[in-house]
Amino acid sequence: MPSSEWVELNFGPQHPSMHGVLRLKAKLDGEIVKEIEPVIGYLHRNAEKICEMTYFNDNLIYFDRMDYVGAMNMEVGYLEAAEKLLDISISERVKWIRVIMAELSRIAAHLVWAGAYGLDLGMLTPFFHCFIEREKLLTIFTEVSGSRQEVNYMCVGGVYQDITEKAIAEIEDFVREFPKRLKDIFNMLMKNDIFLSRTKGIGILDKETAISYGVTGPMLRASGVEYDVRKAEPYLVYDQVNFDIPVSYKGDNLARVLVRFEEMRQSLKIVEQAIKKIPDGPYFNPKAKKSLMIRMRGEGDVYARTESSKGEFGVYIVGDGGVKPYRVRVRSPTLRNLSVLPELAKDVMIADMIAISGTLDLVFGEIDR
Amino acid sequence: MNILLRLQELFSPLGHLASYILAYIFESLFLVIFVTISLIVMIYVFRKYMARIQQRIGPNRVGKFGLLQLIADALKLVGKENILPKNRDDLPYKLAPAIVFVSLVLAFTILPYGDFFYLGSFTVTHSEVTIVLLFGIIAIMPIGEVLAGVSSANKYALLGALRAVAKDVSFEIPMMLSVLAIVMMASARTPSSLSLESILSSEFLPYGILEPIGLFVFFISMVARASYTPFDLGESDSELVSGHSTEYSGMRFGMFYMGMFGSIFLGSLIVSILYLGGPSGPVESSLGFIWLIIKAAILVLISFTVWLSMPRIRIDKFINFGWKYLIPIAMINLILAGIITLGWGL
Repeated sequence: MPSSEWVELNFGPQHPSMHGVLRLKAKLDGEIVKEIEPVIGYLHRNAEKICEMTYFNDNLIYFDRMDYVGAMNMEVGYLEAAEKLLDISISERVKWIRVIMAELSRIAAHLVWAGAYGLDLGMLTPFFHCFIEREKLLTIFTEVSGSRQEVNYMCVGGVYQDITEKAIAEIEDFVREFPKRLKDIFNMLMKNDIFLSRTKGIGILDKETAISYGVTGPMLRASGVEYDVRKAEPYLVYDQVNFDIPVSYKGDNLARVLVRFEEMRQSLKIVEQAIKKIPDGPYFNPKAKKSLMIRMRGEGDVYARTESSKGEFGVYIVGDGGVKPYRVRVRSPTLRNLSVLPELAKDVMIADMIAISGTLDLVFGEIDR
Repeated sequence: MNILLRLQELFSPLGHLASYILAYIFESLFLVIFVTISLIVMIYVFRKYMARIQQRIGPNRVGKFGLLQLIADALKLVGKENILPKNRDDLPYKLAPAIVFVSLVLAFTILPYGDFFYLGSFTVTHSEVTIVLLFGIIAIMPIGEVLAGVSSANKYALLGALRAVAKDVSFEIPMMLSVLAIVMMASARTPSSLSLESILSSEFLPYGILEPIGLFVFFISMVARASYTPFDLGESDSELVSGHSTEYSGMRFGMFYMGMFGSIFLGSLIVSILYLGGPSGPVESSLGFIWLIIKAAILVLISFTVWLSMPRIRIDKFINFGWKYLIPIAMINLILAGIITLGWGL
């Protein structure tokens, strides 16, 4: 069929399988997707600009709302940069607490993804099982911070309050029970032939394309590149824990699914070690406390990268010596991961396009900021 | 124990014609109440069962154990505004849900429910070719879906309708082939082998035992007919928004919804009549109706389990599956049935 006869069809911004507010302008030849153009910006909230108007410590809440399913990862990312700029050190205990929380957040984010991916393929049940497990994590977050999703738990110089005995007990329970539940969810998807036929060999992203588009995170590792900021440039105490980076060389949907599931197991391994290793110490740097908020001034520019659940999350802060940052810029991993979608979803069926866009793990708070 | 004959006797003082008309009205009422109640029970059981599988509680606010939830939902659907798309093709748009629902209810009139609910002498069920009639009516239902998709001036709906057509073409042939096997086998024992009732009365073993392959093919076809996951291609929830029913709201949507659950129930009834012995059970009684319902209920639960544990199959894979696997399997089944029939005849 000539291209003039292609049907243009919009998927989103309100569409059951577009996570958040992605709009895909697709040109269809019958059931075949010929061209696809992602349109973003429906959730633009000006977070970077607002960050220039608030104090260093207050900016955290805008970072919570970027990757809202794995909020602690965003906080870690921002604080890595902010504390470097403000020259405030944190205690060993805080580092371990942050590692625990970041990894639990990563599990929570991957659980949301796994459930939503089941929905993308028309499977209702795994969604609820994933969310039940996530609920346990949110209970832990509530125990440490008082909030469920946008926790605002960390702050410049430490964490808002020390991790309680009850929270540690809850985390231990979770670590003990989760592997079995994860296996159930995994089997629910993987022991299904239709699920395998929808994922195996579909949406193959090769290594070169992935690197040239700046794809990071589980997507890159599923294409055979062993790159994880936690290993490549260890921050916090990631060099003191023992974990593996799952890598697959297939690059298809199934590889991305498997990598994310294995990452959950590895995150759990990190949490298990961190719970045992967590030392005593202050949960807050008194230097930051004394000069809380308005007296913290930073000059110069810093860039810090961390591994969020979606990929390499970079924060660039410029300070002009004032109490507020001069400029904050975020390198969003999901935006780069999304940019490869037109490449992947070319000449595939509509159903495959949905299956592929599901594996990108899109969170629009972070793409549009 | 036939209720309708009793009714007709009861009304007989009013004259022959009047008694028949009254009996007809009561029969229609019976049917409508039967279909409605079974749908309500089914949707309630589905929601509770789904909640159970998904580790939730399910409806529990309206009435005791949420029993009145369905009535609340139905009232909501009836009370909702019917939003009509601007560029619709008016008549087919309004006709489509009715076609789906009416043909569904119509199909229930033809089934043999056993002596208790014997409708035979009152309806066309008395005909000698009820199988042809039944599958003719079943073939009407997809027309409603296609009409809905084409007339609602929506690209998602159109794609859904195209998928529904492709799906129907792929499963209806194996479905009819496996029914043909039963007719063939029945023809060795009864002269009127196209009538559901004589098939039932002439069988000495349920056909599901004689030809399990046919049961398998037919059950899959019935899953595809009722169009729930894995074969909900016309609707394709996450891909095409809601497929052919995208532009429908209010009770018109409700008719599609009930049509789907009704199709599951109808499919289970047909499978249990054709393959599992229908109203006959381990204990013979005039209340064979209860055996039929028990068999159908088990099949319905199996259907729900399939629905809740499967992702959606891709349309081209389903067409492949239909033409490359189901039809050859159904053909083999036909050959086997022929062999059994020959052996039977000798």
